[in-house]
Amino acid sequence: MDDTTRDELLRLFESKLKRAAKLYLETCSRCGVCVSACHVYASMPQAKYIAAYRAEIVRRIYKRYFTKKGRFWKSLGESKELSELALSELYEAAYSCTGCRRCMVFCPFGIDTQLIMSIAKLLLIGAHAEPEILSLLADTSVAKGESLEIFREGFLESIKTLENEVVERWRVEAGQTPIPVDQKGADLLYVALAGAHSIVPAAVVFNAAKENWTLSFFEAVNFGAFVGDPVKTRQILDRIVNEARRLGVKEVVICECGTAFRVMKSMAKNEPFKVSSITEVHARYIREGRIKLRKNTLEGTVTYHDPCQLARNGGVMDEPRFILRALTDDFAEMSPDPVMNWCCGGGGGLVAMGEDTLDFRMKSASVKADQVKKTGAKILATACENCHTQLSNLNDHYQMGVDVRFLSSMVADALE
Amino acid sequence: MSDDIKADKVMDLKGLPCPMPVVKISKGIKEVAVGQVVEAVTSDPGALADFPAWAKTSGNEIMKTEQEGKITRFFIRRVK
Repeated sequence: MDDTTRDELLRLFESKLKRAAKLYLETCSRCGVCVSACHVYASMPQAKYIAAYRAEIVRRIYKRYFTKKGRFWKSLGESKELSELALSELYEAAYSCTGCRRCMVFCPFGIDTQLIMSIAKLLLIGAHAEPEILSLLADTSVAKGESLEIFREGFLESIKTLENEVVERWRVEAGQTPIPVDQKGADLLYVALAGAHSIVPAAVVFNAAKENWTLSFFEAVNFGAFVGDPVKTRQILDRIVNEARRLGVKEVVICECGTAFRVMKSMAKNEPFKVSSITEVHARYIREGRIKLRKNTLEGTVTYHDPCQLARNGGVMDEPRFILRALTDDFAEMSPDPVMNWCCGGGGGLVAMGEDTLDFRMKSASVKADQVKKTGAKILATACENCHTQLSNLNDHYQMGVDVRFLSSMVADALE
Repeated sequence: MSDDIKADKVMDLKGLPCPMPVVKISKGIKEVAVGQVVEAVTSDPGALADFPAWAKTSGNEIMKTEQEGKITRFFIRRVK
């Protein structure tokens, strides 16, 4: 690695050294509590999959370049040169971590491995060594924000083709648009994904609840966050923030996409609108009597997978259970405490990397498959697209014999 | 199927979860030679926004878009 590249990477490293990052980099006592926390290590017990080991690669580069001891006596202590070899180690550490933060719950100091891995991901971007597909997906999202007029009409036409499907499931008042888009004065902006399965059931429930809503032009998922690029993360987020401001909505509701929810919730705190997940909104509708659900029409036991970004990292744990209790008396938890639920193994951009990561995703999430099997459930509900894809892959791979379902679709299907 | 454009490769991307249509077309376009055409068949309403943005970002050319009900066909020429 030449000096210019190294200097540029160290500049990027320094940009991440806020108070919390420094604390996490200087604190680990290697107590080993995190060893059993990671689903990857629990499924494939190799030292490189221990949370503290992953973080140590970043930590040693920090010690080498950002501490006096490392700068002046680099042969002493545990410092590491920033080299091509170090980059390959950073890649393996960052892209074998799903950012689920289960290790953070175990760590007595609350060290956030995901935050440390975000430094690794930024260094990989600086070295042009990040997964190409993740940057391409992020660039595509940014490009959409810059050229709304190009796709506006086609998108509206495409949404029109879904309207009959919505009306068939819940009749709307005369003159009411089944899937409103770009409605100024709406109370709620719903941000979906590209697929009809993310739009139709949500529209059915909004209409049943007589919500004054409108659909976003943009997809919720933030690929900038997956690849760890703070600039693109902001640009992708701002497309939705600006749309919400322009329409004057009171609430932005994120579809079943864990990362989209976490990013919006944490980065749009000071906006003039509230940020909610669709799971929270559905629970609210039930609680307020705005929708009624038929109970016990599901066959077999139902279990629920907590998407890490929604539950552990987003705080949405009671609402899905409240919804499931409205749907069935036959609900089985995977873990006594939802905070301790295993990650599905598909986060951190791994699912978005497609078949390239399939083998690793299957091997590294065997503990999740075991957890699901132990419930004896026939239906595995979840509230995240990424988790749904990964759980469906696990279902095929480990022959779990479950029906993997979106919680929002279950709500739409059970409307009275 | 377009009458005036002959596709060298057809990709069925209907019903795939997010973001697989874009992931698969990104791979698929590299499996044809520069100048050749891929026909991508999608059912996602969001594809009408995603594919033009992807083409702009990846430097490929959408020659034609056909919409028939919920199905959209993109004819994409590999440019580089």
